[in-house]
Amino acid sequence: MESKILSEHYDNPEFRGLAGYKRLGGYEMLAKALKMDRQKIIDEVKASGLRGRGGAGFPTGVKWGFLPNNGEPRYLLCNADESEPGTFKDRKMIERAPHQLIEGMIISAFALGVHKSYVYMRGEYVGPGKILRQAIDEAYAAGLLGKNILGSGYDLDLDLYMGAGAYICGEETGMISSLEGLKGQPKLKPPFPAVQGYLRKPTIVNNVETLAAVVTIIRDGAAGYRKYGTEKSAGTKLFSVSGNINKPGTYEVPLGYPLKDFIENECGGLKPGRKLKAVVPGGSSAPVLTVDEANRATLDYESLASLGSMLGSGAIIVIDDSNCMVDVLSTITHFYWHESCGQCTPCREGTGWLHKIVDSIIHGQGNPGDVDLLVKVADQMKGRTICALSDAAALPVISFVTKFRDEFEFFIKEGRSKVTGKGPTHAQMHH
Amino acid sequence: MPKCTINGQEVEVKAGATIMDAFYQLGMKEKIAHYCYHPSLSIAGVCRLCMVEIEGNPRLQIACNTVVTEGMKVDNNSAKVNEAVKWGMDFHLINHPLDCPICDQAGECGLQDQYMAYGKYEPEMAERKVKKRKVVDLGPRVVLDSERCVLCSRCVRFTEEVTKTNELGIFNRGDRSEIGTFEDRPLDNHYSVNTVDICPVGALTSKDFRFRQRVWLLKNAESICTGCSTGCNVNVFFNKEGVFRLKPLYNEKVNGYWMCDTGRDTYKPINRDARLLDARLSFGGDKAQAKVEYMIPLMGAKKAAEWVREAKAANNAKSVALVLTGQYSSEEYESIVSTFKADVGTDQIFHWVNNPESFESFDGLLFRGDRNPNTKGLLQTLQKHGVMDNTWKDLVAGLESGTIQTLVVAGPLDFSVFPDLQEKLALFAKAKRLVWLSSGKSELVDASSITTVQIPMRTHVEKHGTYVNHSGIAQSVKPALSVVAKAMTLSEVADVIAGRNVKREEASSPIGKRAQNEFTTQRGAL
Repeated sequence: MESKILSEHYDNPEFRGLAGYKRLGGYEMLAKALKMDRQKIIDEVKASGLRGRGGAGFPTGVKWGFLPNNGEPRYLLCNADESEPGTFKDRKMIERAPHQLIEGMIISAFALGVHKSYVYMRGEYVGPGKILRQAIDEAYAAGLLGKNILGSGYDLDLDLYMGAGAYICGEETGMISSLEGLKGQPKLKPPFPAVQGYLRKPTIVNNVETLAAVVTIIRDGAAGYRKYGTEKSAGTKLFSVSGNINKPGTYEVPLGYPLKDFIENECGGLKPGRKLKAVVPGGSSAPVLTVDEANRATLDYESLASLGSMLGSGAIIVIDDSNCMVDVLSTITHFYWHESCGQCTPCREGTGWLHKIVDSIIHGQGNPGDVDLLVKVADQMKGRTICALSDAAALPVISFVTKFRDEFEFFIKEGRSKVTGKGPTHAQMHH
Repeated sequence: MPKCTINGQEVEVKAGATIMDAFYQLGMKEKIAHYCYHPSLSIAGVCRLCMVEIEGNPRLQIACNTVVTEGMKVDNNSAKVNEAVKWGMDFHLINHPLDCPICDQAGECGLQDQYMAYGKYEPEMAERKVKKRKVVDLGPRVVLDSERCVLCSRCVRFTEEVTKTNELGIFNRGDRSEIGTFEDRPLDNHYSVNTVDICPVGALTSKDFRFRQRVWLLKNAESICTGCSTGCNVNVFFNKEGVFRLKPLYNEKVNGYWMCDTGRDTYKPINRDARLLDARLSFGGDKAQAKVEYMIPLMGAKKAAEWVREAKAANNAKSVALVLTGQYSSEEYESIVSTFKADVGTDQIFHWVNNPESFESFDGLLFRGDRNPNTKGLLQTLQKHGVMDNTWKDLVAGLESGTIQTLVVAGPLDFSVFPDLQEKLALFAKAKRLVWLSSGKSELVDASSITTVQIPMRTHVEKHGTYVNHSGIAQSVKPALSVVAKAMTLSEVADVIAGRNVKREEASSPIGKRAQNEFTTQRGAL
């Protein structure tokens, strides 16, 4: 069942403006937090079990703890470069509740001793960008940002930076490079951003949903937050769901919720006469689940990990039996080929190679042995590079061709899709 | 000072050193595949070839960015590492054009060498390769072939970190990435050819060298650059046709890994077409009546000796003067100066400063305004023999008053650094007779208006000698090749003038036949 904790007022248009947001209890938690001990806020976030909602699921409180106490200026960056195919929850959050994010950011920045903070938003989010910009201006005008916030003596400057629309700038060090005015390419680690990030100063990068959840944690306390979710996956989460379902959209459910129920209830089930074939549970980089796996899965970090996939950013793509898996994979390989930054050789060359092989297959020019080759190439791209894009490109390939091998072998042999019966001509839309 | 074990071999490294540093320290740099790492540049960590397995860490790590910790056990020979490196090599090659037969880097190519050592040997790439730009003119000295490029970013980091000129960048992304320059900013810094040296593949080639020789047809010998008083250590690449290029050799105290573009050209005056081949006696006067006698260099020296003897016989040894440039070795200076002092009996010895205005300048990296390899050695010799105080004014006065009549000039080996040549020749013409010692031919000297004997000299790659650089570091060179075998050294000329038996320095061994398939260089770019 849906549990609207973060998204309680998302359907109320008033919630978007400062006045309405305040009327519905907004910025009360900020006033409360500004009177709290900073360490107490960090401890509360740690105890809540909140994990990063951007995809990696790293415990937020632990990440905050990595900041060195060396007196250097430090930065809090909000990652709103939501670019994983299938993901659009941050967009909804910003459109429906920009002040919720701003409040979460001020509380987090206060806890971390940050005085300068940025939201890095993907370039295509022109509309959400305007909304957030307006909200930031409102907050400044109301004394919620800038000098001496709510008379607490605490100063914070918050600014919005629009990216240029590169997937790689959602990787935290790629984002930092971009924010610094450099080419958006991930940086070699170590040093990690918490030690040397933006402008080589200690930096924390958190996802939109993560920072918004901090408001809830201050309101309900760690124990209250933990009322939802499982032991290792605490709280609720927003899921963006798309594909062959009746009600695509964003839904907030407690972590641990069964995927099967989610598809049948929240998503309104499949279209009449269609059967479930596969589910991509956590954005296009998450290994695909078969029907059997999807039926066993619950929406939390540990269940999906045990099935060899991941919760990722909570982007669920439902695939029914009318789809050709070769076609679906070709979209994915094209995406990662297009988005690889090109720094590390295995990713630069590997994403192109994978894309070309799948492309050959779908153009009726596949070679016998291509399926094994795809697995071999993808295997060698895993864990070899500076950032995770290479893995993100490799994992779907391995899962698609091993779980739906028959469809790939058929296409290679017959030059047409096993599912749709169509030949090469229909697939050229990707180019 | 943490200790670690590399492939079972224990080594102690400096605190903060990386695993790659440890490989270099053990002399095992050829035991670990790598392209982007360069000891003198920042760490990029992008070629992903220097993979190592560290005990207790399930993930392979790159050696160039992993700091050694106490007791670390590193293995780069495990099955896991070998597999990763094999495929890493393959990823580098799937879009490489494999045009070795027409590539200048062939024979000293990082891709060739490292593929031989670590390659997969079973190509599985059946798709069409990525097409990129070819023959891209990056600047006055460097050409780019983007398809050959492995995007190691060494050249980009070089212009960022060493020259700080930032001409190069990587444009576009993914497998469309390419090295390039901004439209209005070509790669024309004074150190641009170093990018060619550090390019591990044939992507960057030198305009001066490309298509002139296959590298396996060249021999190489260590020497120094004589282009200025820094004395960069170089490898001279040559065959029996002459010298084709210079590349810097690492010397921590002198030039690090680099040399300047001006220095790259200093091989040109060594080659035969720039050289004075025979001694040449001319008598000045009207061009139409000009009479020129050609003779072997030794006979030329004997002519000079005859003139000096005449002056001595006339009890006028001081009418003989010696002018020295900073172009010769310390041994030669010692020999000629002591001969003039003791045997000829003159202290009329002068230092020709070729470019006094910019003599003290320095570009902050390597290039110095004193465009002579051994000014310091010359000054040391003059000091030792007590003729330091002779000034150029004294020489001018001597010539104008006629007290100096016979002038022996140890002139340029490289005319390009003597902008004042014409002016100085006009001054020297005030003497009666000129003995002109130089390795190169010059129409200005040929047109000398007084009786002149030109004697061909050896260049620094054709003789033994010591050169003292600007900071006092004495560097000795050995003969590498012989271009003009009969040419002489200053010491030999001194012997002739003094009437001693000439101890001819052995001409360097003539270039022998190259053994078949003998590669003269290994890992040229690493």
